[in-house]
Amino acid sequence: MTISLENVLPIPLADKPAVSNSEIWNRQIVFNQSEWIKIKAPSGTGKTTFIHILYHLRQDYKGKVLADGNAVVDFSSQELSTLRQQALSIVFQDMKLFPQLTAKENIQLNRVLPSSTYYGEEVIEEMAERLGITHILNQKAGICSYGEQQRIAIIRALVQPFNWLLLDEPFSHLDKKNAAAAAQLISSECTKRSAGFILLDLEDDTYFSYHRQLQL
Amino acid sequence: MLNELLKKLIKTASGRFRFYFSLAGMSVAVILILLAVQLQVNFNSLLYNKSNQDSIANFLVVSKNMQSGNTNLTEQDIAELRKQSFIQAVGLLTPANFKVSAQSVSQNFPLYTDLFLEAVPDQFLDVNNENWKWNNSTSFVPIIIPNSFLDMYNFGFAISQGTPQLTKRAITAIPIQLNFTGGLKKENYPARIIGFSDRVSSVLVPQAFMDWANQRFGSGSIKATRVIIQTKDPGSPQLVNYLKQHDLTTDTDRTRFSKYRQIVNAVVNASWISGGIMFLFALLVFTLFIQLTIASCREEIVLLVTLGAAPKQLQRFLLKRFYPVNICIVLVALMILSAGQFFLSKRLVEQSMFIDKTLSIYTIAVAIILLVLLWMVNYSSIKKALRTK
Repeated sequence: MTISLENVLPIPLADKPAVSNSEIWNRQIVFNQSEWIKIKAPSGTGKTTFIHILYHLRQDYKGKVLADGNAVVDFSSQELSTLRQQALSIVFQDMKLFPQLTAKENIQLNRVLPSSTYYGEEVIEEMAERLGITHILNQKAGICSYGEQQRIAIIRALVQPFNWLLLDEPFSHLDKKNAAAAAQLISSECTKRSAGFILLDLEDDTYFSYHRQLQL
Repeated sequence: MLNELLKKLIKTASGRFRFYFSLAGMSVAVILILLAVQLQVNFNSLLYNKSNQDSIANFLVVSKNMQSGNTNLTEQDIAELRKQSFIQAVGLLTPANFKVSAQSVSQNFPLYTDLFLEAVPDQFLDVNNENWKWNNSTSFVPIIIPNSFLDMYNFGFAISQGTPQLTKRAITAIPIQLNFTGGLKKENYPARIIGFSDRVSSVLVPQAFMDWANQRFGSGSIKATRVIIQTKDPGSPQLVNYLKQHDLTTDTDRTRFSKYRQIVNAVVNASWISGGIMFLFALLVFTLFIQLTIASCREEIVLLVTLGAAPKQLQRFLLKRFYPVNICIVLVALMILSAGQFFLSKRLVEQSMFIDKTLSIYTIAVAIILLVLLWMVNYSSIKKALRTK
């Protein structure tokens, strides 16, 4: 799936002078299938806004976001849910876990939402093992630390089918070692699906061999 | 798997009491509505089913007013009666054209009386009895007498004459001899009382016997003086006016049957209306409960949709959550009514009234319609509640 942006500009940011220096806002950009993209975004430049626009959580912007040439705004709720179940996975900055479900149930939910599951149940244990959170799998997500929650959110995003992965500061609560393990898991899952990802972060990093690096 | 997770996320709203209350209301409402249908069907079957001995269908014996002199009904009178839309059927009462007397052949029960006989087509009779037939090979002539005759005998005649009082069963066991006198002929025949009628106050013999006996003993042609009519509504002003205009008269007491009908209609209507209103209120409470549940899980639902849950998936889940209880309600209502119908039919048989032991097809059909209606209300209120994000 190709994601194209045609002069996208969020209305709340329209008057900010920083917008004119952006390589994203108000530009024509195409993200091709399987591309690994890093977008560096200092605070206040609209990082989360950008992710939410791509994921179609907000519509207060000018311009157009196209998925394979189709404007995302025209998607019906059914088409949108298919897109999110099959093609577009996400790790939110604020994780967005269900606090009343256990870590495992949070991950399960994304695994079983699509009508045909991508992975079996055992893969949850494997991924948890790789990220070192096996011991909290049966713990309610609400009482997990931020670092643990972030890793749950990453695994949750990886158990479903996708060709694009959106990552909003995915390692902000992880130490270097855990971040590296998570990055490795993300790399292998994206390679396996020949999927692309868009990672937004405040600083430069060396976790991935990016195909393209942009400035928001 | 998905359903189990959704069950944990979308908890039924806290107002359990409200939920049970609406279910109770719904149950009563469904029972009332189905009861109305079943009562109507039962009543119709009592009204039109020929197997009901003491049916409350409306049969009236009509004759000319005595003041008018000639009490014979002409062919034209009868043809006109048949033409009226409020009269379903007309039957002639054939009188005997010869002298009749009856006597008991038993020494224990000496009785002799002069008598008259009439015959009426079988379809107008309220007595079902296999002995009600006559041909050359039958061993006795069956007779039907009015219930009122038996009362008159037991409570008037027997007491003053010192003869024994008789039950219906006893009276049907007494062998009777009928003596016929016509012209120069004198003959006697064995006879027996086989039934009691509320409908025609006359001593009746089978039409076939009457036709034969009139030829054998009678002289000249006989004119009908009374007819029996079947009408849906003896209290209808149309019928009353018609009878008045044509100088005809009838047993006015029979109009009491129309009072039964009014009572049944009132009960059926009350059941309908109260059932309908309760159903509406119960639906409203139930709908509110659905909306309350969805509203109280608003955050979870929004996040589920964010993660990619399709509105259809959530709808299906919620429908599965709420609809089955409706099916249970309708099934329980049907079961209660089935039991009621069964016992009612048993009770009524004792009073010679016959209704089906099982629920009517109409009741089942209305139950299905209610289920469809409930599904539609469930579906649309879930859809609406999910849409208003």
